[in-house]
Amino acid sequence: MATPYLEMRGIVKRFPGVQAVKGVDLQAYAGEALALIGANGAGKSTLMNILGGVLRPDEGEIQIAGKRVEIHSPLQATANGIAFVHQEMAMLPTMTIMENIHVSSFPTRGGLIDRQSMERSTQAVLDRVGCQFAPNTRVQYLSTGDRQMVEIARALLSKPSIIIFDEPTSSLTSREKARLFDVIRSLKADGVTIIYITHFLDEIFDICDRATVMRGGEHAGSGLLKDLTIPALVHWMIGDLDMTQHAKKEVSQSTEVVLKVRNLNRRGILQDINLTLHKGEVVGLWGLLGSGRTEVARAIVGLDPIDAGQIEVNVGGSLRLVKAREAHKWIGMVTEDRRNEGLLLPMSVKQNMSLANLRGLLTRWKLVDTRRETALAQQFVERLNIVISRLGQPVQTLSGGNQQKVVVGRWLELNPPIFFMDEPTRGLDVGAKADIRDIIFELAESGAAILLISSEIEDIMALAQRYVIMHRGQIIGELPGSATRSDLMAAAVGAVPTAETGVTA
Amino acid sequence: MLAENISSKSSDSQSRSLKQWLRQAFTPTRLLDLLPIFILGIVLALLALYVPTFFNSRNIVNIFVQASTLGLMAIGMTAVMVGGGMDLSIPSVMALSAIFGAMRMEAGGSILESCLIMLVVGCVAGCINGYAVAYLKMIPFVVTLAMMTIASGTAIWITNSVSVPVVNEEFFSIILDRIFDIPRPILIMVVMVVIATIAFKRTMIGRWLYAAGTNAKTARVSGIPVDRVIFGTYVLSGFFAGLTAIILSARLGAASANLGNDGVVLDIVSSAVVGGVSIYGGVGSPLGAVLGAIFMTVISNSMNMMQVSFFTGLIIKGIVIITFVAIDSLKKR
Repeated sequence: MATPYLEMRGIVKRFPGVQAVKGVDLQAYAGEALALIGANGAGKSTLMNILGGVLRPDEGEIQIAGKRVEIHSPLQATANGIAFVHQEMAMLPTMTIMENIHVSSFPTRGGLIDRQSMERSTQAVLDRVGCQFAPNTRVQYLSTGDRQMVEIARALLSKPSIIIFDEPTSSLTSREKARLFDVIRSLKADGVTIIYITHFLDEIFDICDRATVMRGGEHAGSGLLKDLTIPALVHWMIGDLDMTQHAKKEVSQSTEVVLKVRNLNRRGILQDINLTLHKGEVVGLWGLLGSGRTEVARAIVGLDPIDAGQIEVNVGGSLRLVKAREAHKWIGMVTEDRRNEGLLLPMSVKQNMSLANLRGLLTRWKLVDTRRETALAQQFVERLNIVISRLGQPVQTLSGGNQQKVVVGRWLELNPPIFFMDEPTRGLDVGAKADIRDIIFELAESGAAILLISSEIEDIMALAQRYVIMHRGQIIGELPGSATRSDLMAAAVGAVPTAETGVTA
Repeated sequence: MLAENISSKSSDSQSRSLKQWLRQAFTPTRLLDLLPIFILGIVLALLALYVPTFFNSRNIVNIFVQASTLGLMAIGMTAVMVGGGMDLSIPSVMALSAIFGAMRMEAGGSILESCLIMLVVGCVAGCINGYAVAYLKMIPFVVTLAMMTIASGTAIWITNSVSVPVVNEEFFSIILDRIFDIPRPILIMVVMVVIATIAFKRTMIGRWLYAAGTNAKTARVSGIPVDRVIFGTYVLSGFFAGLTAIILSARLGAASANLGNDGVVLDIVSSAVVGGVSIYGGVGSPLGAVLGAIFMTVISNSMNMMQVSFFTGLIIKGIVIITFVAIDSLKKR
């Protein structure tokens, strides 16, 4: 067996109160891609931040090409041939591609920026990742996938021998993903060492050669992927937790309409949206990223302005016409951007959970009843299995899964008849995902109507009783709950699934 | 033997819990919070050494009376700042309210009428500020700076820079009399702190305010009428400007454009920031702001008594503000 190109040995990292990485070993080989997987909070990011020079390990050593190296800063990481392609792209949209790529160290000549050499080097790396656009294109005109390519191009600029990809496909379409994989393959062929962090277990079999799994800050297992299966990886990731799959909920018999949206329009964004939700059903709003799914939800609750449209909500058994902003009273909204729109990060679990329901907690004197606030928060913390040390703990210290449960718990406290769930499982680990699915399932069971938006086909297929298909700001059709994965994939790219074409079964 | 064992164990666990308690009680942020008290201690010690007359009861009462008007304005500022805004127009609006009220009284208006005018002028200015910030989405700093120049310009224009005398013994006695030997301005401040604390911490709107100031987007998604809440904070700060105008015009027996000079804004902001109100929004309490006002008044008063020049005083106040804003941003990290 060849010697590993990169070797991390006995890495330990402690944060106040927690040991994030507990003596982990990792080996990666030149010309191979190593998948680094694990649930949220398993310590993957911490380990990679140590490799990238962002964090300093408390113990352990790193060897590259058999030599021990010290990496104390991102600059030293770059000097050692390590490049990081980040999940959240930090780009300056009003600047050009070449400026973005060079922003940390502009090439200069005589103290001024050397545009020619900047353009040349940018063109070289853009060619390398197979991008067609010119180096002086402004980043704001690029799609998310193209930006990701630019991000990779930036990483290539320093001619790295080790490239870390952090969840590179989470916002890519399948075509963009194929392009990314081509780039990774050609990098491997050039002898580059790839470390690939992801939650999508199926894609690592396409692109990676080995896998290292972390769990709770420890090394849970490693091996060649050709010897491994998804269940084996999942077992390493979550231990002996059982992974029961739901049988999909029966199509509800209720025909009671709780929400009816007619001819909702927002210029340039949404066109003639018609949508009906019934009591106790989960409706999957399905489409590509950017097809207007999120915008529909936001427009209905009045977070975005609308140009035209009618919204009716079932109040006490009969439909009533309401203004968009008013509709929010009956709709619990779980947004896709948990950290920036879902939570008050520095505030306590308790205050985050009572936020939407303060009106329901008022005493006779119109003061917030803190005793009831605590009791209710405690009740939902237990019901949702939220792991916290105390109710006063700031939510920013919770893991992603627990944060998401806090957001859901907030709406459960209010208990509205309708829920909009926008990417409720984004960025969560397998266990937390299953929990959120269970919660959605139970909510529907108890009679709530749920509009589910998700990019993760497993989630939406596990829960939705019918699908409403969106494409370029319009609803182009519907599919029944029995639709197959390929039906959904076809529908998402605009192959209209009408009864006449008979796409569905 | 056994009993001894048990008792030693329990004392052991006691000392451990004490240690734990100490560690929790004195976290770095907590220590930063206590810094003003520490500084106050040093200042008071210096005063005890060099200006013993500082501690006579007349001076102490005087400090509290002075702090009461500053404190009331700081409560209004706290509402705005917790919501993530800033109101620079408080002193000039206060001066303008006082002038309108004093003019009404001079023209033979009743005390009630004059006081109402002062409150209404403050609230109207607050409504304009609030509307511009909350609904027109204008930058608070610019809006209130403009309101500050409009109010002080109007004040100078209608008075010709001459102060309007207030000579109404009944008015003086209503506002300034002592109850249990405590001047009413101090009592008004205490009552307002209590009401404001309950309103901020225990009412729904108060909770909404903290949520809106911490993260307006999250507040909106949670169904909170953020715009209305923010609008309200400016009206509230206008109201407190009016209330301050009533007390100050009685105390000084006159109202003039000079009541709202530039130094006062600085004192209000300092009071709030020293009292732990964050300029980043979402953090702070009315009580903290009032304690900050007392702190600032003690500093000014002691500098007077130590015969520090007015300009040196300005430098020291500026340093105090910068120090506490630095602490605020350190805590943010």
